[in-house]
Amino acid sequence: MIFKIAWRNIGRNKKRTLITTLSVSAALFLIILMRSMQFGFYDNIIHSIVQSYSGYIQVHSNGYWEKQSLNNAMEIDDDLINKINSVDGVKNLTNRLQTFALVSKGEKSKGAIINGVEIEKEQLITDWNKKIIEGSQYFDSTDQIVLSKGIAEYFNTKIGDTLVLFGQGYQGMMAAGKYVANGIIDLKNPGLNKMTIFMDIKSAQDYISSDDIATHLIIDKEKYYNEKKIAENISNVISDDYEVMTWKEILPELDQMITADNVGGLIMAFILYVIVCFGMFGTVLMMTEERKYEFGVLLSIGMSKIKLYLIILLETIMLSSIGVIIGIILTRPISLYFNKNPIHMDSFGEGLSDAMGEFGFDPIIPFSINWDIPISHAIFIFCVSILISIYPAIRIFSLNPIKSMKQ
Amino acid sequence: MIQTEKLNKIYKQGKLKVKAVNNVNLKISDGEFTAIVGPSGSGKTTLLNCIGGLDKPTNGKVTIDGEVISSYPSNKMIKFRLNNIGFVFQAYNLIPVLSAKENIEMIMLMQGYDKQEREQRSNDLLNEVGMGNMSKRRPAQLSGGQQQRVAVARALASKPKFILADEPTANLDSISTAKLLDIMSRLNKQENITFIFSSHDQRVIDRARRVITLEDGKIITDKKK
Repeated sequence: MIFKIAWRNIGRNKKRTLITTLSVSAALFLIILMRSMQFGFYDNIIHSIVQSYSGYIQVHSNGYWEKQSLNNAMEIDDDLINKINSVDGVKNLTNRLQTFALVSKGEKSKGAIINGVEIEKEQLITDWNKKIIEGSQYFDSTDQIVLSKGIAEYFNTKIGDTLVLFGQGYQGMMAAGKYVANGIIDLKNPGLNKMTIFMDIKSAQDYISSDDIATHLIIDKEKYYNEKKIAENISNVISDDYEVMTWKEILPELDQMITADNVGGLIMAFILYVIVCFGMFGTVLMMTEERKYEFGVLLSIGMSKIKLYLIILLETIMLSSIGVIIGIILTRPISLYFNKNPIHMDSFGEGLSDAMGEFGFDPIIPFSINWDIPISHAIFIFCVSILISIYPAIRIFSLNPIKSMKQ
Repeated sequence: MIQTEKLNKIYKQGKLKVKAVNNVNLKISDGEFTAIVGPSGSGKTTLLNCIGGLDKPTNGKVTIDGEVISSYPSNKMIKFRLNNIGFVFQAYNLIPVLSAKENIEMIMLMQGYDKQEREQRSNDLLNEVGMGNMSKRRPAQLSGGQQQRVAVARALASKPKFILADEPTANLDSISTAKLLDIMSRLNKQENITFIFSSHDQRVIDRARRVITLEDGKIITDKKK
């Protein structure tokens, strides 16, 4: 009966109900689309960076990240890999051996990062195969390498040209060798493009004169799994000799950039919520004040103050829920459309697309269709309506039936 | 049995103190059909409000079947009103969003009656007041007299010890008034329900078996017919 009374009460002033629910749905419409766009953009950036290079999670020998030296490398261990693979949410993993070298060709020389990779497994995690601009990403012989675009340009290298690598090997050994360029890759990230060379991990081990070692274990996760949780679970199943890091720890600048931008979105959402709050509060205020006489009657005939408050609370929740449902129904098809047909950065101005590309990001904004966005905002509005109902609660609990009926 | 002892209700109007009820001692037995009459401002409604526990007396006490209700805290009083007192108001005061039947059922729902019992009793009561064929109508679709009959049925729904009716005929035409008084009189005689009216309507006074006259908050006369 309380539900029935509340439901019918919101239909008593249809215009007011319409205005209130539309204000809630309009605000929610803007908030959901704004946040879908933001989160879609973040997902795209994370995906671009993480899938291009770092992976969602990395495992190193303990202390490697602090001091990135070959002496802190780890032995490739099938048992370790099996343990990590057993963790829920782990999709693929691959070893990398990373070291540094001086590269020279003719009169020119330049510092570079050498990445020894397991190319078949690597391709399950990263999207390098899509970024090859010349030659091939595969290594047909142990002396083949793939150069990043910047290095290739610096040395004016073509496929088949030979470069000399010179550096420090494992445990104080000298490392030197001649390698043939088999492919050129555009990593899209200006920093990485200037200094990255890929070779097969076995070739890299030979180059540094080491056993079966790696510096990184790069891990890809299943969709919708939380990388932090996976990292914690991995830490729990492997020994303390290893450190487990998420991309947020590996690339803190990216995380900070996203956090800073996210705060901007939250401020906008907050402003919209303030508008919603005032709109709803105005309605609840009027609903309470104009029905004081009726409340007095209900108290006189024996309705408890708690039941009376429940009616108002239900009315407030119903009003906001209708607004929320309309808001979600309106935004869903738009989010889905822009998820399938992302907005291109060029729409916001010329050159933006190139600038984004330079930083290794795809210059598109696909909208996020994650249900967390509408649901979290729906819950927030639900909480707001409960908060707003504090006012009628105070009025009802201090209500004197005689006084309210006299008014 | 309703009893008031040295009942006083003093209102403050600015610096002035107004004695709305002045030292009223009263006993109303079960099954009475009593009218409290007097000119406007004589304290009829205030006395009724004190008896019904809607207003707290400044001093003195109200006792119902041996229970001193005037000292009850607000929540206990609400529960007491629900289970023991039926109210009929001058302005009917039905819940506008509920139908006639739902208005009656609401009281029984608050008391915890099951659906079948609610259904049965609300139909019986509506038939009793001659509104059985209009059970689905909302208050706005009923005339004043019809609304007041539903209000009487609502007041009876909780099986109260007595019914307090504050100027129940003030907004009604003569035909509706006669019908309403017939119903209340019949319920009083057949089911021994106690009715206490505040009124200055001569038609009500004529039907009452006891007439208490108030003036300036004091009982001037108390006549039984």
